[in-house]
Amino acid sequence: MLKIKSTAVVALAAASALVLGACASSSDTTTDTEAVTSTESVSEGTLRVAMGSPGEAQIAVWDQVAAQFEMTNPGIDVEMNYVDDDLYQTIGLPNLLSGRDAPDVYFEWAGSRLAERYEGGYAADLTSYMTDGVLSGIWEDSTFSSGEYNDKLLLVPHKADVTNVLWYNVDMFNELGITPPETWSELMEVCRVVSEAGFIPMASGNKDFWAAGNWLGHLTSRVVGEDVYDSALAQRTSFNTPEWVEAFGYIKELADNGCVNESANAIADNEGAQLFFQGEAAMHPIGSWLVSWAIGEAPDLNFDYVNLPAMPNGAGDQGSVIGVVTGYVINEKSPMKDKAAEFLALANNAEFVAKFIEAEAVPLALSAANAELDDRTARLNSMLASSNTIVGPPDTDYDLEVADFFYRAVAAVMGGVSTPEEAAAELAAAIE
Amino acid sequence: MKPQKPWVPFLFVAPALTFFIFAVLVPMIATAGFSFTDWNGFGEFNFVGFANYIELASDNIFAKSFTNVFLYILATLVLEVLVGLCLAGLISVQKSGSLWFRVALFAPVMLPMVVVAVLWSFIYNPDFGLVNSVLSAAGLEDWTRIWLGDPDTALWAISLVSGWVFSGFFMVIFYSALQQVPTELSEAARIDGASEWRIFWSVKIPFIRNAIEVGVLLCVTGAFQGFDLFFVLTNGGPFNATEIPTTLLVRTVFRNADVGYGSAMAVVLTLVILIVGWMFLRIRKWNDQKELRT
Repeated sequence: MLKIKSTAVVALAAASALVLGACASSSDTTTDTEAVTSTESVSEGTLRVAMGSPGEAQIAVWDQVAAQFEMTNPGIDVEMNYVDDDLYQTIGLPNLLSGRDAPDVYFEWAGSRLAERYEGGYAADLTSYMTDGVLSGIWEDSTFSSGEYNDKLLLVPHKADVTNVLWYNVDMFNELGITPPETWSELMEVCRVVSEAGFIPMASGNKDFWAAGNWLGHLTSRVVGEDVYDSALAQRTSFNTPEWVEAFGYIKELADNGCVNESANAIADNEGAQLFFQGEAAMHPIGSWLVSWAIGEAPDLNFDYVNLPAMPNGAGDQGSVIGVVTGYVINEKSPMKDKAAEFLALANNAEFVAKFIEAEAVPLALSAANAELDDRTARLNSMLASSNTIVGPPDTDYDLEVADFFYRAVAAVMGGVSTPEEAAAELAAAIE
Repeated sequence: MKPQKPWVPFLFVAPALTFFIFAVLVPMIATAGFSFTDWNGFGEFNFVGFANYIELASDNIFAKSFTNVFLYILATLVLEVLVGLCLAGLISVQKSGSLWFRVALFAPVMLPMVVVAVLWSFIYNPDFGLVNSVLSAAGLEDWTRIWLGDPDTALWAISLVSGWVFSGFFMVIFYSALQQVPTELSEAARIDGASEWRIFWSVKIPFIRNAIEVGVLLCVTGAFQGFDLFFVLTNGGPFNATEIPTTLLVRTVFRNADVGYGSAMAVVLTLVILIVGWMFLRIRKWNDQKELRT
């Protein structure tokens, strides 16, 4: 596989940060917590770090970071807590934060969740650490804006992920004489050709709703426009409007044309991926994490990606990318913020950034710029960096219950259970 | 006679009582208390009165979850209790070689439900699962379905798995009860010319009525407690077709972080189970009295 030097990572940080940062800072706040960059110098105790499970390879790197930190900080024990992803994203982290042994450092997504943590008193202001403290000089300054809220830097950025593109089987496309679809009509034509050849055009495993929910969310944002998408998911405007009905109409068109496997709503995301890995499906809409997954599961699969095709007469940016910046927050209530900042600085030094890259994670730190990345990963990063508009996934950028209603509505249209009109009306009613 | 140390009995029940208070009573009272708040599990409590209950009254998915669980109960009464009874009847008639039959039928009960669910998710997989593959191989392509993805079949597909697991359990219970039926009764009936079928239904079944009633009660209460099969196989889907109160409750509390609303669901679910249990006892008492009168 072609390897290229990824100088795009830094640019990616800047671009993705700008848009997501705007999203995060758009919320109102009434909290007046002062910046906390305490000068306390706790030299012994337990530093607790919590995150979802990033996979064995990355866990090994984090454990090495912890071991090295303990070695250079005698008296400090680092306790790493890897929680099941779904649990962490929902009730897991809030429970940890409100527990007796709350984490000092924890993983978080940029966006509304970060603002919620700040409002809840669980996110320390890291501005001084990041501008002239131990965390300065590790990232481009513009990267920080993704974690900015209320003029305070709250998130130590770690990664930026494109959460959805259309992966396709290159060999199958070549055999069928088709090219990656760049417009909606081309996508419909590809679906027709692939179906006639006896394959599944697009495989999705949407039993848990987020898999198709994210890419259909991106699709709808292209149709209704990012502002309308944002305001509806943020519960400022209704879903029961003609533009949302039109957006859901495209999902119905996908289903009517047999673009998506009929089993989509019955199988899990990994089962959907298996259809793609096994050559049963020509395309698979999922995020950037597919690269390492596919290399491991289907080493012979020749695959590449194309961004979501442009929607006809869409009100949104037809070059938009759906993605999210993730990173680490220092708990406002932590008695060892200085040590927590030192820990995060260590995790993002050149040595560990290189190890994270080996573990198929591409940190946003400057030192990642010269790393050799998989060609597709590098291009994804570049696409994220060069995009003028980055759309936030519903389940990381908005209220989880609203995201759940939204995902269920689009799944119902995709499954042929609801018409676009019914889905829009029911979604609006559920949220109201 | 007045006991010299009246506090001694309390001392004996104290350990069990303490456990009951902390493990059952306090959580129940706390849940009832949470149901009057909008607590999200970690933030502040806000008292909302009966708002959660009023919202529940118009929650169509919550209502549907009860419809689903009652349908599931009906299905499992047949697939678990009735099938278990029939299997027990069969092995009690043919005793030689029935050990392997009993072991084979009881084996699924010993498997963790999550393992069973994962196993059956492969069997039901619409794209490469066993069921559709066998149907296709037999030329019955039209019969293939997305078993767990079709609202018309998903609930029955789960019920079938439940039946596969628990029919063996009920078979063992009923088989044990059938062993208690005096052989004289069967022999007398046989001398009177009754067939084995008639002996089973008219002599043995009435004799093990208590065991059957216990089986029905276990089946009904077990269905209300059902969660793992539903969670792994469909997670309440497709389109709430297999949503039962427990899956909805878990989603509300653990996915949507709505502890107050979820607690109200738990309170209502508890009340429904208590009412069903009370009705069951009333029916049983009524039957007993009717029997005494006759």
